[in-house]
Amino acid sequence: MDFLRPRTWAEALDLKAARPEATPIQGGTDVMVEINLDKGRPAALLDLTPIPELREWSREGDVIRLGAGVTYSRLIGELEARLPGLAQASRTVGSPQIRNRGTVAGNLGAASPAGDSHPPLLACDAVVEAESVRGARLIPIGEFYTGVKRNALAPDELIRAVRVPVARGPQYFSKIGTRNAMVIAVCSFSIALHAAERRVGTGVGSAAPTPRRAVAAEEFAAARLDWRGRSPLDPDVAGRFGELVAGAAAPIDDVRGRAAYRTHALAVLARRALGWAWADFRAGTGADSSAGSGGGDDRGSQ
Amino acid sequence: MTTRLFGEPVQRREDPRLITGRGRYLDDLGAGALAAAFVRSPHAHARILDVDVSDALDVDGLVAIYTWEDLPGALAEPLPLLIPHPALTHGRTAYPLAREIVRHVGEPVVMVVARDRYLAEDACALIRVGYEVLKPVVGLEEAAGGAHLVHDDVPGNIGAHLVQEVPGPGGETAREAVDAAPHRLEFRLDVERSACTPLEGKGVYARWDADDASLRVYSSTQTSTSVRMAIAAKLGLPLPKVEVVAPDVGGGFGVKIVHPWPEEILVPWAARLLNRELKWTEDRREHFVSSSHERGQVQHVRVGFDDDGRLLGLEVEILHDHGAYTPYGIIVPIITSTQLLGPYKVGAYRVEFSSVYTNTVQVTPYRGAGRPQGVFCMERTMDKIAAYLGRDRTEVRAANFVQPDEFPYDQGLTFQDGRPLIYDSGDYPEALRMLKELIGWDSFPEEKARAAAEGRRIGIGVGCYVEGTGVGPYEGGHVQITSDGRVHVSTGLTSQGQGHETVFAQIAATELGVPIERVSVVTGDTRRFGYAVGTFASRAAVMSGNAIALACRKVREKALRIAAEALEADPRDLEITDGMVHVAGAPSASIPLATVAVLSNPLRYAFDEEAKRATQFAGPASDDRPPVAEGEEPGLEGRDYYSPVRSTFAAGMHAAIVETDPDTAEIRILRYAVVHDCGRLINPMIVEGQIHGGVAQGVGGALYEKMVYDEHGQLLNASFMDFLMPYATEIPRIETAHLETPSPLNPLGIKGAGEAGVIPVSAVLAAAIEDAEGIPIDRMPISPSDLHTLRRSR
Ligand SMILES: Cc1cc2nc3c(=O)[nH]c(=O)nc-3n(C[C@H](O)[C@H](O)[C@H](O)COP(=O)(O)OP(=O)(O)OC[C@H]3O[C@@H](n4cnc5c(N)ncnc54)[C@H](O)[C@@H]3O)c2cc1C
Repeated sequence: MDFLRPRTWAEALDLKAARPEATPIQGGTDVMVEINLDKGRPAALLDLTPIPELREWSREGDVIRLGAGVTYSRLIGELEARLPGLAQASRTVGSPQIRNRGTVAGNLGAASPAGDSHPPLLACDAVVEAESVRGARLIPIGEFYTGVKRNALAPDELIRAVRVPVARGPQYFSKIGTRNAMVIAVCSFSIALHAAERRVGTGVGSAAPTPRRAVAAEEFAAARLDWRGRSPLDPDVAGRFGELVAGAAAPIDDVRGRAAYRTHALAVLARRALGWAWADFRAGTGADSSAGSGGGDDRGSQ
Repeated sequence: MTTRLFGEPVQRREDPRLITGRGRYLDDLGAGALAAAFVRSPHAHARILDVDVSDALDVDGLVAIYTWEDLPGALAEPLPLLIPHPALTHGRTAYPLAREIVRHVGEPVVMVVARDRYLAEDACALIRVGYEVLKPVVGLEEAAGGAHLVHDDVPGNIGAHLVQEVPGPGGETAREAVDAAPHRLEFRLDVERSACTPLEGKGVYARWDADDASLRVYSSTQTSTSVRMAIAAKLGLPLPKVEVVAPDVGGGFGVKIVHPWPEEILVPWAARLLNRELKWTEDRREHFVSSSHERGQVQHVRVGFDDDGRLLGLEVEILHDHGAYTPYGIIVPIITSTQLLGPYKVGAYRVEFSSVYTNTVQVTPYRGAGRPQGVFCMERTMDKIAAYLGRDRTEVRAANFVQPDEFPYDQGLTFQDGRPLIYDSGDYPEALRMLKELIGWDSFPEEKARAAAEGRRIGIGVGCYVEGTGVGPYEGGHVQITSDGRVHVSTGLTSQGQGHETVFAQIAATELGVPIERVSVVTGDTRRFGYAVGTFASRAAVMSGNAIALACRKVREKALRIAAEALEADPRDLEITDGMVHVAGAPSASIPLATVAVLSNPLRYAFDEEAKRATQFAGPASDDRPPVAEGEEPGLEGRDYYSPVRSTFAAGMHAAIVETDPDTAEIRILRYAVVHDCGRLINPMIVEGQIHGGVAQGVGGALYEKMVYDEHGQLLNASFMDFLMPYATEIPRIETAHLETPSPLNPLGIKGAGEAGVIPVSAVLAAAIEDAEGIPIDRMPISPSDLHTLRRSR
């Protein structure tokens, strides 16, 4: 197995072009597990950790550009106010050790249906910034996941960054696992209220071959929520929203849980998450539209 | 004054070493050794057609490759059947390396030795084994159906069948008693597989000394003495030429009492053959598929009882899954079927078990060893009776208790040690009273109603057990006081982190009257103590503890005799305090134990100042007596053994309050209370630590852990990613109260405590969930997904 260690981003792209079969490694919390479990031995590892710009994030207008090397721990510490949904999801990933190494880009690279960052990325309309020697392209998150553990990256492409819009309303992530920590989700759900546009974003995890949005639920809620009057959430609306989210899922039976349970639990998670988000919206708390910035620094690096 | 340490919560002396990374575990040893790795069967059941190693031969650093064909003499025979039993009519054990047939995924087929583990694994990956896949037998009922066989010569897959019967007070059989009872219930219970999963897997490291023709083996084992005998026998070596040391062991929980593991004899054999140091350390996946599991049973229960819930007759039929082989005999189902009775008098009893083969990892004792299943059966029975009669669950239990004045109480059965099941002592009504108070049993209905008013579901459960602990045949202890005043204690049984170094030191310090700092303890090293059985069955404190106490008493007697002569006093007037022998009430007339040790060994040569006192011209001696008197030995040391007539019976009762989420079916333990009776406590802190660890393992077994086999016999969750152990986030604070009913069977009055915590947890949590949900819980473990399924099937 060859170990490739580029010093610069340009060198990394060159190496990936020359050796498209090389497996990029960032935090290694997926890659090393796969190697340990003997699930195939990569011909080469392309170590991205030396590249400084990957460890940076910056604010570009209404979007946070999150370098591929920014760890969950830093995301939680530095970006919680601006990306609350993603930060909440990051908090539930693994253990402190895993969060100190693992990255959102790695989660995207692995594209597991159970990855915790996917639902909030879907709910907030994130965009994946992919790059190769041929140039850069922006992949809307909804087009990124192409199958179980498969994504839209071309063999010579690397993820440079993920662009996540700064929150314009309350966001929540919730997850059911068979244990309280260090556990792969049985199912997960994320919601984002895009208050200014009177739109609801959703993301469903661990309940279909790929992470996905629950579009019918989004449209239903956007239409039925009382955005102007901010009146309390009608329990029937919440219940129906949950059902529609569950309807978007196509879960399987496996060692972690039965499909029927996943569907049921998803409806519960969605109903609860909408309740929390709407309560925040009515109270004017959560990341709100008016501030528009969430405050804090405009960039971070390590 | 500082020496009365028995019963004190002395800090564990091993912890500074273990928690600062200074422990020496198996893999910390033998840095320069060659490494072994194994090619294991990917199939649950297959015939080996050929083994092609040609590609592997190119691996630079490869040293050797072995298959069954290469094994000489006794090594080529099946592994020992450790505990034969007349009812085990079809006991079968594996070959160290598979011969012709593999019977579970993970069975070792080829051993590879290379310069390091990486190269050994590379070579393994290049070895091609041809298989003809055979039909695997998976699942208890499929196995019992007998349509396909695990072993061709074992009809119906039945390895053992055993019936035990105790007639009722009027001589009636259990069947008659149940049929004639005013009330009857019949039901089925299921318990799934789990496993010990110690943090440190197995491991062996062997050094052959060609000059001395001797072998030293380090093994992560629960029994170094018996591993030693097995190695000597299998390799044809004289016993004195083999030494086995158990270094720090990172947990065992039963799996490491099984021996010799294939690797435990193959690694020493190859080390000798190659005349090179050789080591094998098990990885996690290997541990999942090639060590042992436990727990899997199906039970059919028929019970008859009166209006008060008093049992009149109980019939239990158990189907026990023992996996592909039976190296540990049928200890687990025997324990289930006897310890099922718990603290109760059941009237007439009949228990029948069939122990069946499946193409899965073998089953051997895991902490609790069959008791969790037995207790699940009995306690579910109690709850069902209470529900049927509309009575309080603790009342029904109390109506069936063996009473304090009925000890010794003979249950009329034969226990796992082949001896009668006679309880030595206990106070079950008091234990229940304490537990109800601790958990607030009587006020719970109001609490439940309040929660219900808030839309919350909570429930309470209780579970009782009796545990036979400290089984024989024996253990020994050796105690030596050296001329520097230090006390060296050794015993042959091993430690896996329980705190033996601490409690044995407490016993010795108390018996000898020396500060604990002067006492050092060695366990599991055959160079220090050759006769031992091992650590299992909650026996270390009872067996070695008493043996060490007896050895100390011998040493003390000798010390007083020598000191009396030096002090010109009557030995009966002497006491030992803080390492000084002195006349009671006259502390000035004293002599340090160090000096006594010097005087105990008449010398010709002085090697230091102290030693001068024992040389031949040092003092007046009587001319007509030999320096070492008749019947005496030089030195201040003693050795003794403890061999009990039967086991001591510890007991305990647990209660839990759980909350279930009405929507997501998540289960949370709100409170967990334990009343525990292990006789006299040597160290309450260590006992509580053992209880906490046991309860945590029990919570794992009840809510999280199971072995998921598919129909091909593949273990689907063979990693800690999907075999979930509970974390601190899942374990509630455990509230503990101690009851001490001393055992009349041994000098220290103690009973075992090692397994206790785990035993009733599944029963308790099932009861609490059932109370919260109002749905019968007859199968454990239970996950939120399972609970959801149960809710929907209502
Ligand atoms: C104990 C443990 C617990 C875990 N718990 C969770 C959990 O609770 N939730 C969860 O979602 N995940 C969990 N994981 C999985 C893992 O931590 C996450 O998926 C994490 O986000 C991976 O990030 P990484 O930087 O370590 O990725 P790596 O392992 O370095 O890479 C993962 C994949 O992404 C590819 N990749 C990495 N960087 C790039 C790039 N810049 N461009 C293109 N491809 C790239 C790699 O080739 C690989 O395919 C856990 C893992 C472990 C070991």
